[in-house]
Amino acid sequence: MPMKLLDCDTGIPEREQHVYIKEAGEDTTQYLPLSNSATIPGSLSERGCAFCGAKLVIGGVLKDTIQMIHGPFGCAYDTWHTKRYPSDNDNFQLKYAWSTNVKEKNVVFGAEKLLKKAILEAFDQMPAIKRMFVYTTCSTALIGDDPKAVARAVMAERPEVDIFVVECPGFAGVSQSKGHHVLNMGWIHDKVGQVEPKITSPYTINFIGDYNIQGDTEVLQRYWHKLGIQVLAHFTGNATYDECRGMHRAQLNVVNCARSAGYIANELKKQYGIPRLDIDSWGFSYMATGLRKVGDFFGIQDKVEELIEEETAKWKPKLDWYKERLQGKKMAIWTGGPRLWHWTRAVEDDLGVYVVAMASKFGHQEDFEKVIARGREGTIYIDDGNELEFFEVIEMVKPDVIFTGPRVGELVKKLHIPYINGHAYHNGPYMGFEGFVNLARDMYNAVNSPLWALAGQNLQGEAQQ
Amino acid sequence: MTKKAEDLVAFIQERCLWQFVSRANDREENINGVLTFMEEILKGESPKLETPMDRLHFANANRLAQEVKVAFPWLRELPGEEMKEVVSGTIARIYELTVKNSLNGELNIPGY
Repeated sequence: MPMKLLDCDTGIPEREQHVYIKEAGEDTTQYLPLSNSATIPGSLSERGCAFCGAKLVIGGVLKDTIQMIHGPFGCAYDTWHTKRYPSDNDNFQLKYAWSTNVKEKNVVFGAEKLLKKAILEAFDQMPAIKRMFVYTTCSTALIGDDPKAVARAVMAERPEVDIFVVECPGFAGVSQSKGHHVLNMGWIHDKVGQVEPKITSPYTINFIGDYNIQGDTEVLQRYWHKLGIQVLAHFTGNATYDECRGMHRAQLNVVNCARSAGYIANELKKQYGIPRLDIDSWGFSYMATGLRKVGDFFGIQDKVEELIEEETAKWKPKLDWYKERLQGKKMAIWTGGPRLWHWTRAVEDDLGVYVVAMASKFGHQEDFEKVIARGREGTIYIDDGNELEFFEVIEMVKPDVIFTGPRVGELVKKLHIPYINGHAYHNGPYMGFEGFVNLARDMYNAVNSPLWALAGQNLQGEAQQ
Repeated sequence: MTKKAEDLVAFIQERCLWQFVSRANDREENINGVLTFMEEILKGESPKLETPMDRLHFANANRLAQEVKVAFPWLRELPGEEMKEVVSGTIARIYELTVKNSLNGELNIPGY
């Protein structure tokens, strides 16, 4: 019975289709968790909304772009500043939140005039900024506002500005994933091909699906620079709006997060004939493999070997120090989707850590095919996990450390289990050679911290004495 | 499928992302392209790289071939016909797992 109905789910037996325990001799043509489907009523999901997937994950990363949220202010605040993606222009994108602050009267009488006023006001307040994303939210989508018409009117009045509209209200899909999809497809349709990038190298790529979490992009950019490779667009870590309009001129799309940005890589292949190379940029060994593939594509193998040799000499001894001390630890990964398959073999190969449970909030069946192929037998694979399931799974597998987001992280902390922020990291970057050393260091510090045991002690009686 | 092909399939399933791209036709193109080039590389031949997709398949195939040489040293010692048989069996099985019999309901939907 590899599909598993957990004890806590007896009242919602449909959950059995979403929980899988891998057994010897099985493959994904026999069992594959149902995923990217609507959350079952009665299951307290940890998912975010479709708007969040577009804004917080992809659009909000751009470093020169106003992010106008057309809706009540909460939609702007709740997708601002919770993911740490810095930039090299003094973190413009992290400093501000923009909202049309829709109120009841706007819902009754329409909010297009309000949107236009807000767009003009934002450009006037920030005259150096000429690019903007506009997002619809649940309320403004339901009242039938036409933000594309408003954007066209503003662009006609002010030819120096450019606006991209993302029509993806929170209710548009079953999870954040819909927001990734809508933004990807909208961008390739509306904006790619409008800017001709200046080509300065015989080797050009787009690096797709990296959002500069705590400096990931900076680490990778150093590698590309050393290899003489010009990145036309990072989609979207530390990127500008116009860089991403010139993606059509790259020779190769190198894809890290295939879930949030595989769509644009597919479309760039279909529409412009640019091949898609999927790599893992988390993981020491994986990073070397990915770089070697890029080297093989461009015929620059010698340069790649030189880089790997330098990085290995610098970071491998540190990685091995942690490996010696982390060997045999049990880890759970409860994140969005792709980090399950990016990390499960990487932590085992590079650190000797075993992944015993994995849950995905918004992964599709493609992600489960990858993670089950890579993951261990006996490991639990969960789609759209709920809190009670997490409690039960913790009892079943007793992990030494859990990589998850702040929401589940709060639950985990209350159980006094070492927790690491698997979305925005504790002390990243986590990508690249040095990044995996950072991940190992955070894991080592977490599992060895005395705080978890101390937090479980009841000091009340002592304080009263 | 022979035991040799089975071992190779298990290795590829665990290590290679190109078999799991989003669309059925892209998966099929990658499976055929990468594994055909891998066979040529293992035989000491140089694949013809005429298009950007050829270069992509070469990048994936060359890395796989280098790993396979270490994990399965017997493979490149096989006579040509036998190696072809192992690789054909591998192509057929990976295709079954990731395309033909895949339970992934999104492989062929037009709007993915």
